Amino acid sequence: MDALQTIIKECSMSSPRCLSFLLFILTISASSSGQASPQQTSEDTLNSGTLLTNGTVIGGYGDAVYQNDGNAKTSTVDLERVVLFVGHSFRNISFFSELEMEDAKVSGDENGGEIAFEQAYLKFNLDQNHYITAGLFLPRIGILNENHLPTDFYGNERTQTETFIIPSTWRELGVGFYGSLNSLLINYSIGIFNGLNSASFEHGSGIREGRFEGKNASANNLAITGALQLYEGNLTMQAIGYFGGSAGVSPRQADSLQLTSGLFGTPVALGEADAQYEANGFTAKILGTIVSIPNASDINRAYANNTPQSEFGAYAEAGYNILQSSQGPEGKALTVFGRYETLDMNATIPANGIADGTLRQQHIVLGLNYLPIKNVIIKGDVRFVHTGTENPALIAVRDLAGQPYSSNDTIFTLGIGYSF
Amino acid sequence: MERRLFIKTTCTLCAALGAGLTVASFSSCASIPVYAASVSRKRIAVPLSIFGEQNVQIVRANELEYDIALRKESDGRYTALLLRCTHASNPLTVTESGFVCPLHGSRFGVGGDVTHGPATIALKQLATSIEDDKIVIALE
Repeated sequence: MDALQTIIKECSMSSPRCLSFLLFILTISASSSGQASPQQTSEDTLNSGTLLTNGTVIGGYGDAVYQNDGNAKTSTVDLERVVLFVGHSFRNISFFSELEMEDAKVSGDENGGEIAFEQAYLKFNLDQNHYITAGLFLPRIGILNENHLPTDFYGNERTQTETFIIPSTWRELGVGFYGSLNSLLINYSIGIFNGLNSASFEHGSGIREGRFEGKNASANNLAITGALQLYEGNLTMQAIGYFGGSAGVSPRQADSLQLTSGLFGTPVALGEADAQYEANGFTAKILGTIVSIPNASDINRAYANNTPQSEFGAYAEAGYNILQSSQGPEGKALTVFGRYETLDMNATIPANGIADGTLRQQHIVLGLNYLPIKNVIIKGDVRFVHTGTENPALIAVRDLAGQPYSSNDTIFTLGIGYSF
Repeated sequence: MERRLFIKTTCTLCAALGAGLTVASFSSCASIPVYAASVSRKRIAVPLSIFGEQNVQIVRANELEYDIALRKESDGRYTALLLRCTHASNPLTVTESGFVCPLHGSRFGVGGDVTHGPATIALKQLATSIEDDKIVIALE
């Protein structure tokens, strides 16, 4: 333990290499503590392990949507995603993965389509209530990031707040520690992983394009998260915090770009809180989140990507299962729902930023979710969009053949989905 | 400036509300007691006396990867559920209204039935019997 304290002290000197070493040590120690001790190699242990553990598990989910944009007067239909989940338990150590294909086809000479690992990590069980994950994983941020199955959320589209303010699905490479307290019905988690890449931030999508998603990620910066979940009757509440660097480049390059380097250099901070209630066919959710990028002006000076200093989003949603009293064991459900959402992706901008009214948005979604069985869903919804006005200073080349920008739009979507 | 004031005020209110909810919830939270047991001959024996006012007890054995929820039914029987999600084998979180898997969101009722997918199979129920003053859970 003294040795570990010494390492942590050394790492407080902000050396990425040292912190990486600490993560390695943590993983190794988790691995060793997760393995059966010599005292546990009795016949009872072996038998109970054989009887009560699984081998390989396979699952998956996917969805396809038809969408009509009333303003653009265009319709699209897309096999949005098909995801294959494969896991294997080695007893006390498990492997989990989710391989996702978006838009049905990936072709070298066409835009769109993506094949990516959404998760791929090893999980080391410390005891029945605690485990460590190491690899590409989804940190506990918001509601959708961990639970994004199409059968889990209302409407065809994931919420705008949890797409652009919280860039779900947000996966990075690192180590996560998860635990729960039975005594207080609390879950908690801490994650350490690579930071964002501010060079890739794009105007209009917040920090979303700054995710590395496990692909040649820069470990010059790190990020930490902490989450607390509380279960009280039919209510689940959660609060999380995220703080991470976004310079992404070496200290020498950062100096030349006049960005702050170091583990948490050019930081991004995110706070989020949510509550979910479910009882007798009635469900309600509220979520609020805010992102702060204090060095946004430095990022704009270096990359000219109009990064905001702060952005926020919030939504409230309610639904009622009309078939609650007659759903039966197969879980048939017909839920009518409504959601109000407000977000601003340039709530505050630095002196060298340009305000964009179209990023100040309100969305009202009304729809139906029908589950003939628990794992298959048919969805229909309409989204009313209202935004601020566009800033002519941001229009470099106007598309004369396109529709003029309108602050109001109506988007109609039909979809099917499954999970197993 | 107005927008900045709005954000600041909203955040302050949210933080205050969150803190208030959390404090209120912590103070009123029920607790699920945990009984430390051991496996012997593929069985776990739990004293009947551990059931006090609460009718649910978490049974934990070092030899097992997952906890067991032991419930005293109104007719005097005891039901033992393995707290392993039947979808992806993740350990479950106990709530007052059942069990939740934080990994993919599956939910199970107090009797182990699936109330929310992606899990489709009810929790594994382990056989129980009464021997002398003990509840015996069979790990078969």
